[in-house]
Amino acid sequence: MMLPSSTPTPLSEPPAGLLDAEALDRLRALDPQGQSGLLLRVLATYAASLRRLLEQLEVARANADLQGQRHVAHTLKSSSASVGALKLSALCADIERRMRDEPTLPVQSQFDAVTIEAEHLLQQLRG
Amino acid sequence: MSTGPTTFSDDDSHGQPRVLLVDDDEVNLMLTAIALRDRGFDIVEVTGGESALAALAEVAPDMVILDALMPGMDGFQTCQALRAVPGYAQVPVLMLTGLDDDASISRAYRAGATDFFVKSTQWSLLAGRLRYMLRASRTRMELERSKFKLARAQDLARMGSFDWRRGERGGTLWFSPEALRVFGKAPDERPSLRSLLRMVGAVQRRGLLRMLGEVVTHNAVLATDVSLTLEDGRPRVVHVEAEAEFDHGHGVGYTGVFQDVTDRRVAEDRIRHLANFDALTGLPNRRQLIWRTERALDHARRLGHNAALLLIDLDRFKNVNDTLGHAAGDELLMEVARRLRGCVRHSDQVMEGALEAAGTRSHRALEAVGRLGGDEFVALLPEVADDADAERVANRVLCAMREPIFVAGQECFVTASVGIALFPRDGSSLADLMRNSDVAMYSAKTAGRNASAVYGPQLAGQGREKIELESHLHKAIERNELVLHYQPKVDVRAAKMVGAEALMRWQRGGVLVPPGDFIPLAEETGLIVPLSEWAVREAARQTRIWQQSFGFADSIAVNLPSRLFERSDLVENIHQAVSAYGVPHKAILLEITENNLMKDLHNVSLSLHRLNEIGVEISIDDFGTGYSSLAYLTTLPISELKIDRSFVRDLGITPQSSAVVSAIIALARSLGLRVIAEGVENLRQMDVLHRLGCGVMQGFLFAKALPPDDLDAWLQQTVLPRKAPWIGAASEEPLARVLGRA
Repeated sequence: MMLPSSTPTPLSEPPAGLLDAEALDRLRALDPQGQSGLLLRVLATYAASLRRLLEQLEVARANADLQGQRHVAHTLKSSSASVGALKLSALCADIERRMRDEPTLPVQSQFDAVTIEAEHLLQQLRG
Repeated sequence: MSTGPTTFSDDDSHGQPRVLLVDDDEVNLMLTAIALRDRGFDIVEVTGGESALAALAEVAPDMVILDALMPGMDGFQTCQALRAVPGYAQVPVLMLTGLDDDASISRAYRAGATDFFVKSTQWSLLAGRLRYMLRASRTRMELERSKFKLARAQDLARMGSFDWRRGERGGTLWFSPEALRVFGKAPDERPSLRSLLRMVGAVQRRGLLRMLGEVVTHNAVLATDVSLTLEDGRPRVVHVEAEAEFDHGHGVGYTGVFQDVTDRRVAEDRIRHLANFDALTGLPNRRQLIWRTERALDHARRLGHNAALLLIDLDRFKNVNDTLGHAAGDELLMEVARRLRGCVRHSDQVMEGALEAAGTRSHRALEAVGRLGGDEFVALLPEVADDADAERVANRVLCAMREPIFVAGQECFVTASVGIALFPRDGSSLADLMRNSDVAMYSAKTAGRNASAVYGPQLAGQGREKIELESHLHKAIERNELVLHYQPKVDVRAAKMVGAEALMRWQRGGVLVPPGDFIPLAEETGLIVPLSEWAVREAARQTRIWQQSFGFADSIAVNLPSRLFERSDLVENIHQAVSAYGVPHKAILLEITENNLMKDLHNVSLSLHRLNEIGVEISIDDFGTGYSSLAYLTTLPISELKIDRSFVRDLGITPQSSAVVSAIIALARSLGLRVIAEGVENLRQMDVLHRLGCGVMQGFLFAKALPPDDLDAWLQQTVLPRKAPWIGAASEEPLARVLGRA
């Protein structure tokens, strides 16, 4: 499926302190004059993607689908880093590494932390 | 990142590169797309492997970026599938992997990715990587194209590449398909060096192997032409050119090209042949002969031996051309050339390089017979011991001509005259040797042809004189330089003149040229025909004058060459000559030598009969020297036999000569022919002849050949007053003496 190059979702400037400032600067650099409202579009896309991934995670955990769980961690790790959600990205990176290096150890408590942090982010982004 | 956006301004000709970006992470997809667009890329975003493959045809991307880990078809599977799509085997694919994901990196390469890139937000690095990949891809495509072009060009030029690596058993050879074609091999064949060498002839192969060994030992450049025969029997010339390949300073092999240069070589050979060989006979031409001779002389000079030049000129070749036509003449020359070739160790091809290669005996290869032009040939003998050596070859040439040559449906007999000049004795340069062999050749001609002569200083100048003589002789008639002198025929018993023999003289610039100096030349050049016709007219005119001045009623004998008897207009010419001056036909007596008569008996006899019919009498000159059957005497209309002077000379000295003379007289008498003796110089000879029954004579005893006015005076002052010593000697009872002896 080909996506249109933008996903417009009206959103105000992200709340200060929630996302890494450096990462946000990098995003702003992509649209220096802010003409195309890039930052807000990215955050909207991130929020939509985050909601969908949380749903996928819930299903995967209910089905004990390790592959599905791992994929969510992998994707969230990089997209969270991109928008400056560094805490969430770090949590996911830790899970991904654990699942690869020590596949027999459970990572459910870590996923709980991911879910809490993700919900928190969603709340902030919506506000 | 402070690096500003970079566009493709330096690669404008290629336009905006179109990139198919595949990532299931929408945030990353979006950011990457925005960042790359900002840097001059045309980005098409898709979120999965399946949709990427489906979009290929529509998007036609210049390159593809694949996220390695995706749900459904992941990046690796997508890459593998993409490579299988026609046209995408070489398209650059960049795999995006995690930072510490080594396994993915190697999987990416295995799946056919061009390169990998660790996911990051450093867009400039990504853009730089993409640009590098595109450039590399273009370079690679250009290389592929130029390789293809090279292959095609090589194919057209019948050229192909090869590589050779040193190793056991001749090393390893690799051929491009074009190179295989040069050797007539299929693209899937792997011929060994040995099998290729087998295509070269054994002799050349030894030289080639020696040379290859030498070249390889020194890692020298290899460039040579090799003549070989393909397995299907086609002869080919292959040019090999290669340079040594080095690894850490050691020659490890060679890389180079084979090229089929047969056509070029054939053309070159053809040009060389045209320039150096006579088109008619295929023998070396003048130019080639000069080249060979100069080299042979160089060699002879260096090693201090003799060389010989033989100038071979066909005798009376002009007759063949005149009577049988030029086509027959050419045919004859070709056969002569073939025979001459067999007389020497003729080598057709002498290559400039081959001479040195053949070592000290190489000059032998220069030996050849060539054609200078017309009916002139030259044999070059690069080394002879002496005259005798050269003369042996000359004799072989004369022998080779002995068999008749069949041209234009008839047998021709050709003889040659050969002049020999020896280096260094008879000349130290090509020009000297040519001139002196020419002089020697002319002396052989003058001496009667069909012979060879070695040059000697005494001959010098004769050749040139002869050419001068010939050009003047042409004009002698119109300039009235020719005169007839007359030697009386005398009846010794009656002491009176009974006729005269006309002998031609050439008054050239106050000098009287003797007949021996120009008659052979006239015969050789064909001038003898107009000369003889003039002589007949002049004799008729003289007869008329003498008729009037002293009542001359006998005949004047004119010598005719046999070729004149072959002319159909002879009878008509004689008729006109005598009619013009109002004298009878019998006033002209024609003399033909026995040799000439016998040579052309068949052609001559018809003319003789017709001449006889109109009253012109025929005398056989030099009778007794023809070694021939005398049967012709009974069938031909002959009136007179002239005893050859050689028998007369010895009369009274050797008994054999009088035996011959008396036999001739008896023969003549029994056939009812007149008989006359010539060359009578003294009374002893006259006496014997008279006693044997021959009463008519001519010779110095009576008178030498005299100008017409002198002859008149001789008659008036010597014969009529009966004052000469011979008068009376014979008139004293000759019959009684003869009877008394009997």
